[in-house]
Amino acid sequence: MANRTLRLLTATATALPLLLAQAATEASAQELVIATFGGSFLDASKECHIAPFEEATGSEVDTVVGNTTQHSASIRAMGGQSEYDVVYLDDSAATQLKNEGLLADIDRSQLTAAGQIDPRAFDESGQYVVFMTGATAIAYNTDLVDTPPTSWNDLFDEKWSGQIAIGDVTGTSGWQFLLAVNKLHGGTLEDITPGLEAIKPLAQDAVTLYTQADQLIALFERGEIAMAPWYPDRAGSAADQGLPIAIAYPKEGAVGIRPTLVIPKGAPHPELALKYIDTVLSKDGQECFAEKKYAGPVNLDVELSDKAAAIVPYGETLQQLWFLDPAVTSKELPNWIDRWQREVLR
Amino acid sequence: MSRLSGTALVAPLVLVLAGVFVGPLLVMLPTSFHPYVPGQGIGTAWTLENYIEPFADSYYRDVILRTLWMGFIVTAIALLIGYPLAYFMARTTRTWRAVATLLVMFPLFLNLVVRSFGWIALLSNRGVINTWLMDLGVIEKPLRMMFDMTGLVIGMVHIYLPFMVFMLLSSISRVPRDVEDAAATLSASPSRVFFFVTLPLTAPGILAGCTLVFVLTISALVTPRLLGGPTYKVMSTLIYDEFLVKLDWPSGTAFAFILTAIALLVIWGANRVARRVTGGAW
Repeated sequence: MANRTLRLLTATATALPLLLAQAATEASAQELVIATFGGSFLDASKECHIAPFEEATGSEVDTVVGNTTQHSASIRAMGGQSEYDVVYLDDSAATQLKNEGLLADIDRSQLTAAGQIDPRAFDESGQYVVFMTGATAIAYNTDLVDTPPTSWNDLFDEKWSGQIAIGDVTGTSGWQFLLAVNKLHGGTLEDITPGLEAIKPLAQDAVTLYTQADQLIALFERGEIAMAPWYPDRAGSAADQGLPIAIAYPKEGAVGIRPTLVIPKGAPHPELALKYIDTVLSKDGQECFAEKKYAGPVNLDVELSDKAAAIVPYGETLQQLWFLDPAVTSKELPNWIDRWQREVLR
Repeated sequence: MSRLSGTALVAPLVLVLAGVFVGPLLVMLPTSFHPYVPGQGIGTAWTLENYIEPFADSYYRDVILRTLWMGFIVTAIALLIGYPLAYFMARTTRTWRAVATLLVMFPLFLNLVVRSFGWIALLSNRGVINTWLMDLGVIEKPLRMMFDMTGLVIGMVHIYLPFMVFMLLSSISRVPRDVEDAAATLSASPSRVFFFVTLPLTAPGILAGCTLVFVLTISALVTPRLLGGPTYKVMSTLIYDEFLVKLDWPSGTAFAFILTAIALLVIWGANRVARRVTGGAW
């Protein structure tokens, strides 16, 4: 009992600044608060999901920008009294928060698009839904690299020494690339020693260990890097802006990313939240997001243009995608970060 | 002023500080004694593990020692640069003092992030300094000045120097000129006057300035994050990562309390030294 009170106090104390910030922005009663990702992701969301949603429901959407870990920390701090209605998270964080009992159920029967969605997109216990398929694949500079890379091993080629960037382990592409290399060298999810040993020289020779996905754009632009493990959606957007970037899926299979939508416990407008999720999952919403943001659709009715299909995980590349069990990754990630800091960076 | 009215004057501030600073801090204290179970969250059992690990694990120990070393170096450099500057400001004409004050204060008007980014533009591999040195043919490969102690110390000295200078300035200004003149009249050389009269009289200011800069340096977050990158960690960036990257609040909280304890210890120690130096007059 005392412990519960304490946790409640902790939650209140840490959530106070958030609550105050929220109170200042909260104007109308029917305002949906969405915690989402920034940059080109938000721009595409506004066009593909938020605008149609506002038009259909007559309510307004307020967005709070951050990354997965920041959103997770906020949800935990608000401890079941969420100010957010819908939150974008990666599936590993969604699993973690589900285990902490901080997420509300997503009622599948209320979603009109449910029938068209790949059934694997729904969490077994119905607490999150995957809305797109992303990947960690290889982005390369088309001005510097003549033959597109075909394997993760190409990043280790002597030829590109000093021209490679990789993600720090705290970012998705960072730990996913580590696991891909680990698998290549015979490691398992429980034993990542082979991966750490193989990646160490590359990490120490790397131009940078990026912590923000968009850090790579400037490096590609200046020709400082030839290749990097990166996300097809970011690479696609950068290529659309005229940068010499292309994406290659390694033959060993790229690593799958499954960003999810969740409704935190205590969300003020759960019904509206469901409607928003429905908009994101609808055929139109998915099609638009795939063409604009190169997000792999989970709605099976969506048909992609040739251009988008070449970039997003789709068809064969989707079949080869290596999906990790979010229950395992959420449990092991702190350990991977610890070992990376001690064994790779020191 | 009566004691009562003094209390009344201080009360609002004490209440605010206790309410928004000490209160939440104490609420966080129990968290640091719980275990963290990855994938599950904060456990309910009680443990001392979070306080033992930082000292038992060589990686954490390195980070703690690095933080203290950084604080020491930054304080020492700030003092070495700051003292002559403050001395000049205290003894020069009114106009020059105004100019110097403006120059010292100007960096404080700029956002911390902007100042740190300024140093990135200068210090990075393709930054101004490296490009310049390579164009001149002085070096072939870029010098590594970021993501290590060099970059951190340069950035932190720049940011905290004004605090040192203003602390020293007020202390040096308070030294009566007659005392120095008296020493000079007794045929003491200028250096003797400085080392045996001025310096001891400004000792409290030196101590106060050093304490302030040291504590600010070891608890700084923005500059170490930007100039240290993801690899070169100090305690504050480690705490940030424990909270926001690993979601390990218990470890993060324990680290935060250890950092707070170090800061309090330094302040307490400095106070004791100051009392001894000034014979209790401070």
